[in-house]
Amino acid sequence: MRNLTIFLFFLALLCISPFIGAVPLDLQNILNPNHLQYQIFFEIRLPRVLVAFSAGALLALGGLVFQALFRNDLMTPYTLGISSGAVLGTGIAIKLGLTSLFFGLSLVSVFGFSGAMASLFVLLYLARFLDRSHKESLLLLGIALSLFFTAALMILFFLGNSVQNDMILHFTMGSLAILGWHNPLLLSFALLFTLLLLYVYRFDLQLITISEESAKLRGVATKQTTHILLISFSITTGVLVSITGPIGFVGLVVPHIVSKLYPVGIQKRIGKTALFGGFFLLFCDTIARSISFGSEVPIGIVTALIGGPFFIYLILLKKGV
Amino acid sequence: MAIEIQDLQCSYNSTPLFKGVDLTIDTHLTILGANGAGKSTFAKALCALTPYSGKIYLNTKELRNFSAKELARHLFYVPTKLESFDTRISVFEFVLLSRFAHKDPFFEYSLDDKQRAKESLEKLFLTHLSDHALSSLSSGESALVLIAAALCSQSQIIIFDEPTANLDPANAKKVATHIKELKKTHTILLITHDLHLACFLQSPVAFLKEGVFSLFEDPSSFFDDAVLERLYGVKFHNLAVSYA
Repeated sequence: MRNLTIFLFFLALLCISPFIGAVPLDLQNILNPNHLQYQIFFEIRLPRVLVAFSAGALLALGGLVFQALFRNDLMTPYTLGISSGAVLGTGIAIKLGLTSLFFGLSLVSVFGFSGAMASLFVLLYLARFLDRSHKESLLLLGIALSLFFTAALMILFFLGNSVQNDMILHFTMGSLAILGWHNPLLLSFALLFTLLLLYVYRFDLQLITISEESAKLRGVATKQTTHILLISFSITTGVLVSITGPIGFVGLVVPHIVSKLYPVGIQKRIGKTALFGGFFLLFCDTIARSISFGSEVPIGIVTALIGGPFFIYLILLKKGV
Repeated sequence: MAIEIQDLQCSYNSTPLFKGVDLTIDTHLTILGANGAGKSTFAKALCALTPYSGKIYLNTKELRNFSAKELARHLFYVPTKLESFDTRISVFEFVLLSRFAHKDPFFEYSLDDKQRAKESLEKLFLTHLSDHALSSLSSGESALVLIAAALCSQSQIIIFDEPTANLDPANAKKVATHIKELKKTHTILLITHDLHLACFLQSPVAFLKEGVFSLFEDPSSFFDDAVLERLYGVKFHNLAVSYA
């Protein structure tokens, strides 16, 4: 019954979402290839639905995997500073005015995932000096890195001209507004790749979520698995951030909701987390498109406004149990 | 399955613990010793969880030459407490994870694996807990679940690290009985402070003190008030009380 309700809600969202936005669409007009609404529907709205879904699924999976690998509910590519690294990388590309393509990827994306990778390596390098008994140290390290990258981004603002600053500012608020099918397809390819990777490593990941020691003792090559997953998710986070900007809280909130709804082992939650993440962001984006203050509300702000209080509620709930 | 240890040296927080241990474990061994003597580090070295110098052979093959999977098929380590970040996983699923090293990569656990997990739970009278989440278990239950996991792994060597440390006497006796049962089919390496348990198992005893193992092939030569007093430095009266 609950699954049916959720399914119907998702289906309704999927059907309604493309019709919501600045320009109201009419079912008859969107089927007429010569009509402007046809172009809006197929070149703006549908790609946006795909971007929102793929981005949401990737963010939620990123959260799930980081929480599993570090065995800490607060770990995500966002809280560990990897997204901030991607934001900084993208900011640098904007400042340098790089717009050309590099093997089919825009240079902005290349800079985005280079930033993500660089911050992952800094994080992993510094983590070697941490006292392993303090589980929160890594999180604090990530937050420190994140603040550092944000400060570095401020320097870009200081040096940039007003057009560039406007671009960077809009970028840091997160946006799903895109044109055409290039980025949506890139993101859905990234999503398929991550799902495939997680499918291959699902049993290893299940053991790692018990504890690193027990995973090792039952035959998981923990170091190798952890590195493969961390690097893959940092790359996808980097690409994602370079396209949509930082969108926070999805990676924190969605894995929590899914584990509350489906209290089963992580191996059985991978697909559900992707699905819920995708529809969660699509829902947030539909709200963002339906509220208009002259221009639409940036998606990063919507997810933070929904996710922030929800996350506080989850923390308080946990304390009560 | 035999374990042969040659010139083993480990350190804990850069303090050397052993003075070049040479030891052959043919069947079973109970390791006793004071807190901080290095018993757990010794067990971790045997599981390749901590770096060591010297050589450890499992049936003539050096431990460093084992892949993680290969080692898991030979050796199972039972920690003192069942600790898991993912507490939503069920008891059955947890026990099934012991089959990881046996199953084909990418594929689901086979029916045979599932059958083994089921039988292991049956053997420990835990079938009623199969669908319970790990988080709902008491200390006594989780100790038994860990033994079921060990049984399910089919590993020939089982290392118990203080299995009764958190248990009340009734649960400790249950665990002791199961370990004694396992002795018939497995090589049991037991690390403990529980003299009752050690006496009940009647395995050869190695007492670790100041980096040196003193071996008592005949356990009755160890469970003697005078000997215990000399080793532990406290008075004992009639330790013969055991789970028997």
